[in-house]
Amino acid sequence: MATEENVYHIGKPFAAMDDDVMRPIEAFPTKLWWGAFGVSAFAAAIGLVTIVYSWFVGLGIFAINNPVGWGFFIVNFVFWVGIGHAGTLISAILFLFRQKWRTSINRAAEAMTIFAVIVAAIFPLIHIGRPWFVYWAFPYPNERGPLWANFRSPLLWDLFAISTYFSVSLIFWYMGLVPDFATLRDRFERYKARSKVGQFLLQVKAIAYRAMALGWVGSAKTWHHYEKMVMILSALATPLVLSVHTIVSMDFATSVIPGWHATIFPPYFVAGAIYSGFAMVMTLMIITREVFKLKEYITLKHLENMAIVILVTGMMVSFAYTVEFVMAAYSASHIEQYAFINRIKGPFAWAFWIMFTCNVVSPHFMWFKKLRTNIKVLFVISIVVNIGMWFERFVIVIISLHRDYLPSSWDSYDPTWADYAVLVGSFGIFFTLFLMFIRTIPSIALAEVKADETNDALAKHH
Amino acid sequence: MLSIAEIKRGLFSYEEATSGYVASFKSAADLLKAAEKTKQANVKLFDCFTPCPIHGLDHAMGLHRSWIPVLTFLGGIMALILGLSYITFIDVFNWSIVFGGKPFFSWPAYIPILFELTIYFAAVFTVVAVLVLGRLGFINRKLPAAGVTSDVFAIWLGDANLSKADVERILSGLPADIKEIQ
Repeated sequence: MATEENVYHIGKPFAAMDDDVMRPIEAFPTKLWWGAFGVSAFAAAIGLVTIVYSWFVGLGIFAINNPVGWGFFIVNFVFWVGIGHAGTLISAILFLFRQKWRTSINRAAEAMTIFAVIVAAIFPLIHIGRPWFVYWAFPYPNERGPLWANFRSPLLWDLFAISTYFSVSLIFWYMGLVPDFATLRDRFERYKARSKVGQFLLQVKAIAYRAMALGWVGSAKTWHHYEKMVMILSALATPLVLSVHTIVSMDFATSVIPGWHATIFPPYFVAGAIYSGFAMVMTLMIITREVFKLKEYITLKHLENMAIVILVTGMMVSFAYTVEFVMAAYSASHIEQYAFINRIKGPFAWAFWIMFTCNVVSPHFMWFKKLRTNIKVLFVISIVVNIGMWFERFVIVIISLHRDYLPSSWDSYDPTWADYAVLVGSFGIFFTLFLMFIRTIPSIALAEVKADETNDALAKHH
Repeated sequence: MLSIAEIKRGLFSYEEATSGYVASFKSAADLLKAAEKTKQANVKLFDCFTPCPIHGLDHAMGLHRSWIPVLTFLGGIMALILGLSYITFIDVFNWSIVFGGKPFFSWPAYIPILFELTIYFAAVFTVVAVLVLGRLGFINRKLPAAGVTSDVFAIWLGDANLSKADVERILSGLPADIKEIQ
């Protein structure tokens, strides 16, 4: 593995690494950052205003109706939950498999997980119509009878899965940040403010980072427990992340709608989630390394590895599509068969073919070393894949719902301005959070990078 | 067999570096040697401070295996048992109602929720255990030596009977920068 180590070896003094990683936090943001932040915040505002407006006038402003009662809400929900999965895969599963290349990208990937789950959670919240009653879903002794949540319902499973996933990802991420917050805390002495306001803000920041660092001094006795914790949380997060999209897929698979009632759904959804999540990590990593000069930490080799993961999971997804069609053909159920004919030839066939082109065809460019080491190609493919994965959820939700058993109940689905506004808003919220993250939190897991460098050097000595 | 005293020592091994001597190094390899020498010199109260975890340092310092996995297991198993009892109470006794022709106690349908509860409490117990056993949360704690959160590797020797000459003798041959702390 000697050659492998050299690829990810940074070989800089630790103090210089601190400077590199903390630069985005310490320097005044560039014009590029302000531009990106302005656009994202504006998009977020469009979405949030629409959501608040819907609380005043009701869900009628969205296109959901019979028979498509789920509409964009569930499309977006499944899309964003899926995006989150790559972060956990990188931080937990690749850790358990001792994949060293994960070290420098895992912090940002996990931040992406948390923001994606926050964005995803917005959609069921709007969809229930009266979000202020969301606490009714929790099984607590209440004044409404004995009236409890239904533990046999996949929708309740989903609530538990998403809340657990969010909480565990958040504490895992935060605990990973503690040593880096300590590094940042101890750099505050060197800063000087030019004005009184600046001085005040600097003090507020110093106190905030001091609090978040939890009094970390890097004691070996703390590291000793801490390292065990990282191992255990990875081992817990691994089945957790697989369970989350499994349970999301059960929202569909435990129903009797043609096109949904299939046992392939859990693995198919998990593969799709990793596929789209890695594409999103790639988009974000390319932007981060270019804008914040972190090319030594997020190398071409990292991007190439991600491209290979995209290729593999893309083929898994293609395989699942094929299985769906074969099973429908073999099912001897003309309703099931029609559901799939309707996908490729029905009124929403354009959505199916967009999905097919983006998800089945585009990853195959990654077979070629020349293409998967070309940043521009990677950037385009990563966005194309996510367009495809959004349309996959559109195909599953909309096409299956708009025509099921009774032709007399068939209807179309025509998204309104409000649906598009919330979709745009979801991207706005996600990118706003990510841009703020880069400016306030060390975006590379510094302590882990240092550990890899130190322990590689120690291993060579012995 | 483990004695209660041994378990206690394993659990609450953390000591605040408030007095004694701190030796700083520029490399992890030197710190590893220093930790071994300190242990061989039979110093009772000592700890190392590093910017990143270092393989073999816990062994060199003679630290007991971490008890964290045991606490993780306790958290998980507790959540599983309590969760199952609660759901059984609700579905079988408090609100027994037939859903989709399933029995009141339909355990296969409970698996997802019980699984999530187990993971959640196992994770929370793990993190709380690290905060307690690793003695985190005391935000005004002073750094024992400058730079240990950046690029300095330090060892603290805290036994009351040690003089600076003793520390120099223990760490002889290593490029140590020794300072007294009060």
